[in-house]
Amino acid sequence: MNDYAAVLQNVSFRYGNSEEGALHELDLKIARGECVLLCGRSGCGKTTVTRLLNGLIPHYYEGELQGDITVSGKSIRDTAIEDLAGIVGSVFQNPRSQFFCVDTTAEIAFGCENMGLPEAEIRSRVDSTVRDMKIEKLLDRSIFKLSGGEKQKIACAGVAAMLPELIVLDEPASNLDLDAIEQLREIIASWKAQGKTIVIAEHRLGWLSGLCSRVIYMESGRIGEDFPGESFFSLDPVRLSSMGLRPVVTDKNYLDTQPGLFQLQPFSSGGNIVLENFRYSYGRKNALDIEHLELPEGSVTAVVGHNGAGKSTFTKCLCGLQRKFRGTAVIGGKRMKPRDMQHCSYMVMQDVNHQLFAETVLEEVMLGADKNSEDKALELQKKLDLLEYKDRHPMSLSGGQKQRTAIASALLAGKQLLVFDEPTSGLDLKSMRAAAGLLYSLRSECTVLIVTHDMELIGQCCTHVLHIENGGIHQQVSLPEK
Amino acid sequence: MAGLFTADVENRGLVLDPRTKIAVMLTLVVFALGGTGSDTAAVRAGTVAVSILPMLLLAAARQPGRAAVFTAVYAVMKAAELLLVPKTTGAALSILGMCCMIFVRLMPGLVMGAYMLSSTTVSEFIAAMHRMHVPQQITIPMSVMFRFFPTVLEEFSDINTAMKMRDIRIGGRNAEKIIEYRLVPLMVCSVNIGSELSAAALTRGLGTKVRRTNICSIGFHVQDIAVLTLTAGLYFMWILGMIGVIK
Repeated sequence: MNDYAAVLQNVSFRYGNSEEGALHELDLKIARGECVLLCGRSGCGKTTVTRLLNGLIPHYYEGELQGDITVSGKSIRDTAIEDLAGIVGSVFQNPRSQFFCVDTTAEIAFGCENMGLPEAEIRSRVDSTVRDMKIEKLLDRSIFKLSGGEKQKIACAGVAAMLPELIVLDEPASNLDLDAIEQLREIIASWKAQGKTIVIAEHRLGWLSGLCSRVIYMESGRIGEDFPGESFFSLDPVRLSSMGLRPVVTDKNYLDTQPGLFQLQPFSSGGNIVLENFRYSYGRKNALDIEHLELPEGSVTAVVGHNGAGKSTFTKCLCGLQRKFRGTAVIGGKRMKPRDMQHCSYMVMQDVNHQLFAETVLEEVMLGADKNSEDKALELQKKLDLLEYKDRHPMSLSGGQKQRTAIASALLAGKQLLVFDEPTSGLDLKSMRAAAGLLYSLRSECTVLIVTHDMELIGQCCTHVLHIENGGIHQQVSLPEK
Repeated sequence: MAGLFTADVENRGLVLDPRTKIAVMLTLVVFALGGTGSDTAAVRAGTVAVSILPMLLLAAARQPGRAAVFTAVYAVMKAAELLLVPKTTGAALSILGMCCMIFVRLMPGLVMGAYMLSSTTVSEFIAAMHRMHVPQQITIPMSVMFRFFPTVLEEFSDINTAMKMRDIRIGGRNAEKIIEYRLVPLMVCSVNIGSELSAAALTRGLGTKVRRTNICSIGFHVQDIAVLTLTAGLYFMWILGMIGVIK
């Protein structure tokens, strides 16, 4: 018994607000020191398993639970979730909603403070965690000024300082760029070396290859298959794709966009959208410095670059949202100032909840448009598979449907330029492909720019790649025809 | 990000103990706002000194611009109170008197309040409450609440951006719905973030029965002693004035 860090026996669970069960008679034993990957399609129950391990189910998310869960010899049902804190550590997906303090040092100490450890002990734990993770540079910083990757490192440090035996990570990489993922990988590797038990639920698989010693593939609330790490990571892409999983090896890295490499053609002029004088600085710090840039009308351009390269400043300027920005753009043959750019461009945000205002989908789509354009609105909704939901409240839709509602509203308002901010972060293979198909089909209506770290998405739907580094254009290439 | 208890730890200048700030605040309420002991000349002078203190603290906390503006306003209004008020009569007197009242008596307290909120971190605040023996049942909900505000502000600014792109603005087509349109997404996002935040807090042991420790080092330093001496001096003179030692 003692050789297992966690034992789930015959566990079934149904969320209180759902008709269908999330897990069905699941049996799972996780040995001490194992590094386990949980994967599968969206809704397969991988997140639910992580919540069982850290006690959020049944203590926080309510529902109907059957079966026994034991973590480190303690029954989850009979142990208060706060008392599990020193035993199970959890890292979540969204860096925005897992912080309590405004400075990093206090944040790392937060968990230990809650456990009521003596002050000297906390300080020595914070010091050694910081040293182990090599994040001295991040100490005494304001959390609001950190990048997503840095925030995720602080979250890991806060968990590690509590010295848990089991660490559970729920899609920790879905908001991170490739560099930050590599650093997260190193952190997890060091935990593994210390003999901690690690459970990761994730749909981006590549970075976990060689790290996870066991892979559990889940299918509609059951264990589909239990692989040893090595044999899983050498499965061929066709097999993975039939399982609804993303490929392990990303074959093309569009951050390495040398012309000639995988049939990339250099592209610098010949576009009928012309951007000029795209310069912007925050105080003394130069964030964007592009003098002249051309984009072909009706193209789907991926905007890539490392975190902090200036991608979001660029798109904000393009949508006319950056104050004091003075650049100009020629779109549809018309020369435009930032104020006009605001009228003809639209950004679909990463959290699309921020931009749905109305009470029904139809009203939402009609919001920016003429009162007489209902026919066209219905037509658009039909095209985007939204017609049957036209009287639903937008907030009651699924993520993909919300995204399509936002797209429909932009198209009806006559926007010629659509910018997407990480449209596929957190999507499984099927939803990612559906999104890619949709984005590609928008070419006939408008020009699309996609800010993304998702290399597979780029391969699926983009016609051009714009690589931004240090606020300037690093490369601009066109991709072979699809 | 200026807001409730979200002091920028990277660039904050002089740091005072939160308890010192509370002491200054109380002193301002008693003397500047309440006008206590204003029949003693020494107390009146001391009140001026304490009233300028928030501006000095603001300057020391790397906000010299705002500090200069408030000091200038205070100086002008105080001069007007001393020189002009005795010479005016009628309507002019009521208007001028009112203005002096607001800027000379109320403003220092408000500036102090703004300074207090913008220069203290949540951990310092909690540590101070802890040292003053305020029970955990009060401090923990408060700390989560303060953590929640800046996030809601961030959400709010994202929603505003989205509204700009949809051309929903004052004077625009959908002006009458501008509040409703803002509240719905704000509430949905706040509920999501709030529930994720609570889940994360629980997994990190917030709310255990054990007594929480706090590594945040607060304590009285030279600057605190200087400020506290000044405020204590004011109370001391007030007492001397009351028992008739000084006039």
